Amino acid sequence: MSGGPMAIVKPEMKSYIWLQTADGSIQQVEEEVAMLCPLIYKELIHNGMGSSKNCAILLPERVNPANLGLILEFCRFHQVSGRSNKERKKYDEKFVRLDTKMLCDLASAADSLQLRPVVDLTSRALARIIEGKTPEEIRETFHLPDDLTEEEKLEPLKNITDDPRIRLLNRLYARKRKALHKKEKLKNVEVVEEEHRVDERSVDDLLSFINSGDQDSKGVKVTKNKKKSRGRKEQGRNTSSNSEAGNYNKESNCLTSGTSVGSSPSRNSKLQNSPSELFSSKFDLDDFDIDDELDPARQEEIDREVEDFARRLNSVWPERIQQILSLGQERKRLGPISMNGNGSLKRCTAGVDRG
Amino acid sequence: MDTDSGRDLISDLPQSIIESILIKVPLLDAVRTSILSRKWRYKWATITQLVFNDTCLIPCNDKSIVSCNLVNFITRCLFLHDGPIHKFELNTSYSPTSPDLDQWLLFLSRKDIKELIIDIGEDDWFRAPSCVFFCPKLTHLVLVRCELNPPPNFKGFLYLKHLSLQQVIIPPHDIEVLISSCPLLESLTLSYFDSLELTIRAPNLKYLNLEGEFKDIRLENTPCLVGISVAMYMTDDIAEHFEQSSGCNFDKFLGGVPCLERLIGHIYFTKYLSIGNEQGSFPVIYQNLKFIELYQVSFEDMKELLVVLRMIVSSPNLEELQISSSSITTTADIYDLDFWEKDWPADCTFSKLKIVHMTDFSGLPHEIAFIKFLLGHSPVLEQMIVAPTIYVTDKVVKMLIDLLTFRRASPLATVKFVQEPL
Repeated sequence: MSGGPMAIVKPEMKSYIWLQTADGSIQQVEEEVAMLCPLIYKELIHNGMGSSKNCAILLPERVNPANLGLILEFCRFHQVSGRSNKERKKYDEKFVRLDTKMLCDLASAADSLQLRPVVDLTSRALARIIEGKTPEEIRETFHLPDDLTEEEKLEPLKNITDDPRIRLLNRLYARKRKALHKKEKLKNVEVVEEEHRVDERSVDDLLSFINSGDQDSKGVKVTKNKKKSRGRKEQGRNTSSNSEAGNYNKESNCLTSGTSVGSSPSRNSKLQNSPSELFSSKFDLDDFDIDDELDPARQEEIDREVEDFARRLNSVWPERIQQILSLGQERKRLGPISMNGNGSLKRCTAGVDRG
Repeated sequence: MDTDSGRDLISDLPQSIIESILIKVPLLDAVRTSILSRKWRYKWATITQLVFNDTCLIPCNDKSIVSCNLVNFITRCLFLHDGPIHKFELNTSYSPTSPDLDQWLLFLSRKDIKELIIDIGEDDWFRAPSCVFFCPKLTHLVLVRCELNPPPNFKGFLYLKHLSLQQVIIPPHDIEVLISSCPLLESLTLSYFDSLELTIRAPNLKYLNLEGEFKDIRLENTPCLVGISVAMYMTDDIAEHFEQSSGCNFDKFLGGVPCLERLIGHIYFTKYLSIGNEQGSFPVIYQNLKFIELYQVSFEDMKELLVVLRMIVSSPNLEELQISSSSITTTADIYDLDFWEKDWPADCTFSKLKIVHMTDFSGLPHEIAFIKFLLGHSPVLEQMIVAPTIYVTDKVVKMLIDLLTFRRASPLATVKFVQEPL
């Protein structure tokens, strides 16, 4: 380009400045348009850059010719003073009708140029995309990797294969919650008692971890589990919380080391506790004379509660079931015990990791 | 959908953009992003705005469970949050119990909170804990249905710009102290205060919004006021007070607001201003006053009429005037229509008045005379819109005829008679 002005010749000669994008390409832009970008303005005014091709203003890495074009279009439109607010709004709405990739790209470029209005517009458009979608849909839209470990995701055990163990676990969990719902006692006394039980339990956990993997220790474990779960069952009964939220509070008190509760709170620790809790309570079955044949009305009630719980947590994770089932097949009845051991093992190390 | 499909589009954007996105989705969705992927685990946890409202509720038949879930959600969000919280809004019809709310507020007071909005419960008042008064960076405070008791060592909110108290119980003296101890206060809204005598000293105040049963309002040090909106309700108590009060309310209220641009008065506002008002004295001129809206002006009360006239004559740059008549018709049959000929200066001109909108017009003699007055003294008037009240249907045609015959100082003036839909 020779030094002359571009296409339209106006009586007041527009001045142009030179911009260079990260890929090396240089372009000339009307000064009054480009100045809307704070970064360009600063470079021009404070550093005196951009007046010729040789000292073109170097734009940040994230700005490429494509998004620069869009940004300059935006600036060109809004820089004209006579427009009404309605016109500008309409233009803005049209402006962000881009595909997702372009939106992200544009947001990034605008942010590096410090052009706040475009950042806001693109964020709002991206927010509209995210809002109300399920995690899978969002992952698909943005090509996000599904890389959270099983323990980080949480869900109720969805019994798609009609595995009796899973059915039982779900029921027991629901029963426990129901028990908590119903009881209303003073909290304070129970909290104190609970503290003691927490200590008891953490010691139990350590012991079971130390003794884990051992057939012989199974017996030891069983009793310990029994002690544990009995303690917890009572504690469950005595708690005054009358909702699952209350249950959740108590359980989180019982977490050993400060396992940081990562994602959506009410989901997380509940499930982190539930496997071990459920597995341990399983062994109390015989003691407490609880069998599968619950009276049908209660059974229905419990089934409904479990479903409700599942729905509430709002996710279906087939892989989780696979894991449970595959673990169950590897080891025999003892699966749950070592799982318990692993469970507490997991919890302990998890606590350490995140501590 | 593009050449490098499979590449993560969004997770590597700078946190400022991610935050910009996450604060534009309902909080529940923002928290849910934590299960999208490893990188997204804690992206939500550093957002600086937390808005809890009905979009955070998980529907359930049992109200107590919904309430409990909400409380837990809020507690857990705060617990997991990392970094400063600049805005906290709680807007729900459920009432969290006191211990929860107190703890949240205590937590927020340690997190550099700047904007605090609490509007909870439908019938209950909550008692604001003292930690609310020790949020040093507060710029924006909105409280609804709460009891405020500023502690004795409260020195004010040094950065507060916007204060809105609705249905708040606070000792009368304390409210004045609260207002005057916020030196940067720009916007003040007080709604539903009962029987309050209020003196406002706020040197930076720009916008004032009052609604309630006020006995007395004095604007003592408010030189920067630009917009005023007042709605005054009446009780017997207040009516008595009105009768006994001395001094000119107009001066007390509008005496010190030379920068006023917009004035809105509802219900008994004009009546309040009429007390103590002396005809013919216009000490203050409002050079910037462009919009006046007065509702429920009684055109049967000469005093109120005088207030209206004083206001518009003192505003040489008035552009738009909207007046609605009070539909309470008293038995006064004697209308001193000579007033318009003799007592009123005939040389005043409303040189910038463009639009006049009269609503609830019932064809009272003074109303008609007022319109005639305006038409005759507004050389650049473009629109005179008159909407009759629904209670008067028989005199409509006569009114219309009368109006159309009045002399119009402005060649552009159109008189529109609008029958507002019921």
